[in-house]
Amino acid sequence: MIEINNVEKRFGSAEVLKRINLKVEPGEVVTILGSSGSGKSTLIRCINGLETLSGGAIRVDGNDVSTAAGLAAARRRSATVFQLFNLYPHMTVLQNVTLAPIHVLGQPRAEAETRARALLDLVGLTAQADAYPQRLSGGQRQRVGICRALAMQPRYLLLDEVTSALDPEMTGEVLDILARLAAEGTTMVFVTHEIEFARRISDRIVFLEAGELIVDMPAEAFFSEEGGLAVPRIRKFLSKMTKD
Amino acid sequence: MRYADFTPYDLVLLAQGLGVTLGLFAATTLIGLALGAALTVLHYYRVPVIGHVVVAVTELLKNSPVLVQLFLVFFGMPAFFQVNMTPVTAALLTVSLNTAAFAFVIFRSGVEAVDRDQIEAARVFGHSRWQILRRIISPQAAAFSVGPLIGLLVNQLQVTSLISVIGVADLTKIGNILNLRTLEPFVVWSVIGLTYYLCAKALAALGGRLERHLRRSVVWQGL
Amino acid sequence: MIRSWNALEPHLGFLLEGFALTVAACVLAVAGAVVLGALIASLRTARSRAARAVAAVYCDLFRNVPFIVQLFFFFYGLPELGIYIGAFETGVLAMSIAGGAFVADVIRAGILSIEQGVIEAARVFGLGRWQIFSRIVMPNALRVSVRPMGSVLINLVLTSSILSTITVNELTGTAKIVAATTFMPFEVYAVLLVLYAALTYALSLAVAGVHRRLNRGMPEAVA
Ligand SMILES: Nc1ncnc2c1ncn2[C@@H]1O[C@H](COP(=O)(O)OP(=O)(O)OP(=O)(O)O)[C@@H](O)[C@H]1O
Ligand SMILES: [Mg+2]
Repeated sequence: MIEINNVEKRFGSAEVLKRINLKVEPGEVVTILGSSGSGKSTLIRCINGLETLSGGAIRVDGNDVSTAAGLAAARRRSATVFQLFNLYPHMTVLQNVTLAPIHVLGQPRAEAETRARALLDLVGLTAQADAYPQRLSGGQRQRVGICRALAMQPRYLLLDEVTSALDPEMTGEVLDILARLAAEGTTMVFVTHEIEFARRISDRIVFLEAGELIVDMPAEAFFSEEGGLAVPRIRKFLSKMTKD
Repeated sequence: MRYADFTPYDLVLLAQGLGVTLGLFAATTLIGLALGAALTVLHYYRVPVIGHVVVAVTELLKNSPVLVQLFLVFFGMPAFFQVNMTPVTAALLTVSLNTAAFAFVIFRSGVEAVDRDQIEAARVFGHSRWQILRRIISPQAAAFSVGPLIGLLVNQLQVTSLISVIGVADLTKIGNILNLRTLEPFVVWSVIGLTYYLCAKALAALGGRLERHLRRSVVWQGL
Repeated sequence: MIRSWNALEPHLGFLLEGFALTVAACVLAVAGAVVLGALIASLRTARSRAARAVAAVYCDLFRNVPFIVQLFFFFYGLPELGIYIGAFETGVLAMSIAGGAFVADVIRAGILSIEQGVIEAARVFGLGRWQIFSRIVMPNALRVSVRPMGSVLINLVLTSSILSTITVNELTGTAKIVAATTFMPFEVYAVLLVLYAALTYALSLAVAGVHRRLNRGMPEAVA
């Protein structure tokens, strides 16, 4: 379980996250929605320890990410897929995927490679295992990014706008894979602007507004007249998002 | 033909001078690059105080004449610290430190050229700082550094000529000796100059080949 | 500390004379290097193949032979040709010639950095050859050249210390004498090192200032 308790984050005097509370249970898909600058990325970066908290606490299966040991354990349980892929350019696809399993989890190389190849098969990149990231299309790169995350056998997958750098066709490729993972019961914390997709795969939706978590409800309720749409701010957000 | 003619033995002398120049160049290059790399690692770990001291000293070395550095080491250190200092030791020490200072700057900008996002990704996947340095940063920083390093070494080869001033019998010193004996400055300095020129060209060509080889090999493919 | 200062104080005037000579040599050499460099750069972009080849050889040669060898070549060689000029003049000449090779490369790069489209646009608007050169090409070339030109200048300052090896009593030359008379080589050369570093640092600040002035309102990527 990921527990986020009263988390605050300030950059100088700017309060970017204000007393956020959120729980993600194993098997859940939780989508974070909110307009640009509302703090979605910052929240993800707090969970994976790229930002230090200004207040409150985050625990991943009981491991406090603000301690060194807790963060190391938390990072072994969760894996992140990045908006701009962040692949290692000097390594082949296979090396990208196996680096952390070998050097962080201590898996034998052969085993890590077998698993990596199986994952690459799964996302249709069998032939690209020995290519360098530069040779791949954006959609292919993001599929590598997903494999790299899955190779850690994470309990939790953190995804921050993983399709926003992709064109619609490549977005489709990546979303199909994520839908499959969701159906298989992978736990995900998912930041996206793909409202329709979020509606389809999410168990719960939370809405961030200027650093505050103003709504946390089941996906169905969020999109219903008496639920999320009853909140004017969300109605406005959804109508704007679905228009373009 | 006023003083003493050239003799075949002068060629041996020339070869000896060249040997001293190349030997000292090779030794100071090895020491300098190793030291420069070590300093870069120190800097990467943001060791307090030491990091700043390293930056200050390297700036001082980069921005002062090598000749003055040589004088400080060769004349100054024995007088001040009561240590023995042969010309060769002074030359080795000074040129190595000088190469290290420039190499440090090159390596450091190589490290800084590595995309921050990848490093964040590696941290999120739980890699240690050392693993990130070794597996993510070093290969890329090394690839970025090869070009500037070749330029540096071609330059440092010329810098070694200054050690003749404190009495090391390198190529330039042999030039001095032959010049005084034969009083044929045009011939002597043309030959000496040409020898340096050919060495520089050979070094640059070698460096270029190394660079092309690396470009074809794994580390570069992705960059 | 106090003792060293007391011992050095009487020599300050002498050191200042040396400093003045260093400044004079650098100012003259920069002027000479810019004139020569502009000439070589225009030869390198000339139509005649022979002119281009001569200019290329010039740059290649003087960049790849150690300055001290070039200096000895002129210092000992010119009298052979019946040209008797003082050591200072010889030093300035050698610095100008070596500096010219670097300046030529800087200017050439500046001229080549101008997009052909910009020149075509100017032509379409009816500007003449001279107008295009003076209003478009030169201002742009100067703008991108400031920083590399600054490092050529700083290198000349550091190089000027080598003039002490041909009896020119510029800053390093006077310091050598002071070090010998006071028996305090360490203190003298340490101060000298810091002095040169301060001088080149001040120069680099000035260069950065000029660069900013000329590039006001320009995106950094263009500059
Ligand atoms: N390192 C930082 N320093 C200062 N301010 C920051 C920093 N990182 C983020 N911010 C600020 O925090 C706020 C939230 O940023 P964040 O990236 O979390 O928004 P977001 O919801 O992910 O937006 P988007 O949908 O555009 O990605 C913004 O106002 C941003 O300017
Ligand atoms: Mg964001």
